[in-house]
This record gives sequence, structure tokens and C-alpha cells, in this order.
Amino acid sequence: MIKGDYMKFYQKIIKKPWTYVVGGIILAILNIILFWFSGKTWRITSGFLYWGMGILEKFGLEHSNWYYFNVYGNELTKGKTFFNNEYTILNLAVILGALIAALLASEFKWKKIKSKKQLVFALLGGILMGYGSRLSFGCNIGAYFSAIPSFSLHGWVYAIFMFVGAWIGCKLLFKFLL
Amino acid sequence: MAEVRIDCMYEACPIPLIKALKKLNNMKIGDVLIMETDHSCSITNVIEWAKKQGHEVDYAEVADGEWEIYIEKRR
Amino acid sequence: MSSSKIQELKKNRQLNYKGKKNQLKYGLIFIMIVSFIYLYLFRNNFIYSIIWLLGLFIGFTLQKSRFCFTASFRDPIMVGSTSIFKAVIIAFIISTVGFAIIQYKSLGGNIDTDIMKIPGQIAPVGVHTALGAILFGIGMVIAGGCASGTLMRIGEGFILQLIVLIGFVIGTLLGARHFEFWDKLFISKSPAIYIPHYLGFPLSITIQILVLIILYYIADWYDKNNNMMAM
Repeated sequence: MIKGDYMKFYQKIIKKPWTYVVGGIILAILNIILFWFSGKTWRITSGFLYWGMGILEKFGLEHSNWYYFNVYGNELTKGKTFFNNEYTILNLAVILGALIAALLASEFKWKKIKSKKQLVFALLGGILMGYGSRLSFGCNIGAYFSAIPSFSLHGWVYAIFMFVGAWIGCKLLFKFLL
Repeated sequence: MAEVRIDCMYEACPIPLIKALKKLNNMKIGDVLIMETDHSCSITNVIEWAKKQGHEVDYAEVADGEWEIYIEKRR
Repeated sequence: MSSSKIQELKKNRQLNYKGKKNQLKYGLIFIMIVSFIYLYLFRNNFIYSIIWLLGLFIGFTLQKSRFCFTASFRDPIMVGSTSIFKAVIIAFIISTVGFAIIQYKSLGGNIDTDIMKIPGQIAPVGVHTALGAILFGIGMVIAGGCASGTLMRIGEGFILQLIVLIGFVIGTLLGARHFEFWDKLFISKSPAIYIPHYLGFPLSITIQILVLIILYYIADWYDKNNNMMAM
């Protein structure tokens, strides 16, 4: 009996994919809890910038000379470094959470890069997203998933133009990747 | 009935879906398309799309993190 | 449900399938590791420990539900499917209510607070927002994943997504480097618009939720009427 219940639980929760709606509801609730406890909403790309800056500082660059780190509250909070901050914690936790989910379902697999083209597009896509996220004060999470519920108009504008970008991206994909 | 195999290993979204779509266009009704994929999104994404198109569809896990998706062309 | 042909194929194939949930033990080992990190953070920095825990749940949920923001934008365009987009809208309806309560409490009813002091993601809106969104939109489609998707897929073992992450780091550095130029050109001239400043809290919430519900129905209608590729 108990073993049967366990198997049912395993099949349903751990093994099978959940529906999108369930995922959306849980993510919304987690974002609310995060906002409630830390006073900050879910953001990702600022953490990527911090990692990059942290590496550059190892080579002797000084971040305080950068205009970016002196405006719009972009400066590091006291007591935090480019590697020791809440974004690092959150980003690493997301990777590990996904890893655990994949392992429990026995779906983990190292997936190698298939072609040079794939590699170039991945790198290019990453650079475009990173650059874009600085212009618009966030990525699909910071300027969209967390911005629209914050009642900031830029979230809505962001959403509309992300559709435009995705449309151009689809055209490029059909032209070059297939 | 014919079986057509497509290899979508190491491909990221949405390439598997587009490959399936292109292949299915050249197949006869009753033929089965077998897609090999290791992209976890495919087993929701491709299956949902195939169902919506009115095809018969199912999948099986063939190794850790690898699946085969079976689509029988219906229209 | 599925036809006999498929059942037959599936059965033959599964006879050769050996390894079933043999990664489970690695999963349990990782659960132990992340629990130790949680305990360490809990003793040193309470807020970090909560962020850690929530991040783990976010990653777990993203993987289990294959929640992909890229697909929510791409699939309506490419295959006319809006099921992820609809899930995002439901998420927005829930978080709108939650965020409103938190912001209202934090402001203590004093809605005219300085915009920089309102908690949440509030930023200037203008040409730069559109430009950034377009660049991001192109990038996420050709790279096959957005920011959250990239992290989630690294966890799944995609080496390709590590490359995307490297691109992300380079891109954010370049963006930050050029920030002064964009700030002088657009951003400094653009206001941050916090909707409740203009409409008040009750009306903002009502309108936002109404808009989201209407969008949901439009997406639902679009899904039913668009089977084929729009390209």
C-alpha cells in the first residue's frame, strides 16, 4: 500500500512534467514570498553583470570608475561583493534546483554542442540579451515577470517590444539555423 | 505504413518542433514519425503541438534524459 | 488513446530500456549538499538562507513545468500556440495581487512617496526600454532560452547554455560600459511611471487584472484559431 502510494507520488510529482499553469502559479507565489521576505523581487541578469565585473576586477579594473555603477542605485550595497550577493545566491540556487529536479526524474544528461553554428548563435544570443538587459533595466524576469506586477509601465512596454524582437528572432532562425 | 526517424539530439527549442513539422508535411496519412530527442521541453512542447494538429502521439523514455516521440500522421 | 501502431513501437522500444531512475541517488546527494548550504546560510545570514531556499524551489519548478518565457513569446508567433503565454498571464494575475499588498503595506497608504523608495521593479520607461526589449527578444529566440531558461538548462546539463551564460556576462559588461551613452541619449530624459501614482491603488489593480483577463481570452481565442505556422 505505502509503496504503491509512493510510486504514485513519484510518478506524478517527480517523474512526469507538470502543466504550465501549475508552474506559473507556483512561480508567482515564490516571487511574492521572495518580495515579502527580502524586499526585492526576482532578478537575474544583474547577477551576471556582477560576476563579469568581479572577474574584470581580478585583472585590475576598478568598477567605481564606471558610470553605470554610480547611477540608478546600481552601486554595490555595503558589505556585498560581486560574488557575495543575493543575485549569486539566487542564480546558483536556481541552477541547483533544476539539477535536482532533473536528477530525481533521472533525466540528467550532458548535452554537447552539435555544431559551430549552434555555438555562434548561442554566444551571439547571450550577448544580445545581456546588452539589451542593461538598456531596459532587466531581463525577461526583472523587466517583465517582476515589473508588470510592480505596476511599472516599463514592464508593459517591455512585453510589447519583446514580441517584436521574438518575431525578428524567428525570421533569423528560419533563415540561418535550419 | 512507413516509419520515418529524425534525429534531434542536442538540438534546442524550437528546432525539434520545426523539423517534425517539415517532415510531417512530406508524409502520408498513417505513417509514423519517430523523433529522437534529449530536450526535456520537447516531450511537452512537441506533444502538445501534435495533439492540437490532430495526430496520434505518445512518447517513451529510452535512456536517461533521452526520449522517443511517436507521431502518427492523421490528416 | 494512442493508436496500436504507436503502442507496438513503444513496447518494442521499452524492452531495451535498462536504466530506470538510476540517477535518483545523485539527486538525494545533491539535496543533502543544498541542505547543508542552507543550514550554513541560516546561521550566518537569515535573508540569504530564504533566498537560497526560494531559488531552489524556483529552479525545481522551472524544470518540472518546462516553464520557458522564450516559448511564451515564440510559440504564438511560430506555431500559434499560446498555452505558456496563458500560464504567464495567470502568474501575473496572482503576483499583481501579492505585489500590490506588499507595496501598499510598505508605503503605509502614502502613495505619493518618492518613486525611488517604492519597493519592486520600477524603472524609467522610454525608447531604451523598447530597444532593450527588441535586442533581448532576438537574442532569446536565437539562443534558445531566456535568462531563467538558461539557468534551468545549465542545471539539466546543456553545455550550450553555458556558452549563452558567457555571452550574457560579456553582453551585460558591454551594456554597462556603454551605459553613459544611452543614459545621456534616452534614459535620463525618460520618467519612471508608477501606475498607482496616477490612478491610485484600487483602480490600478482593477484595471491591470481586467487587462490581463482580456489578454487571456484573446490568447485563448488565438490559440484555437491558429494551428498553422504563421511564418
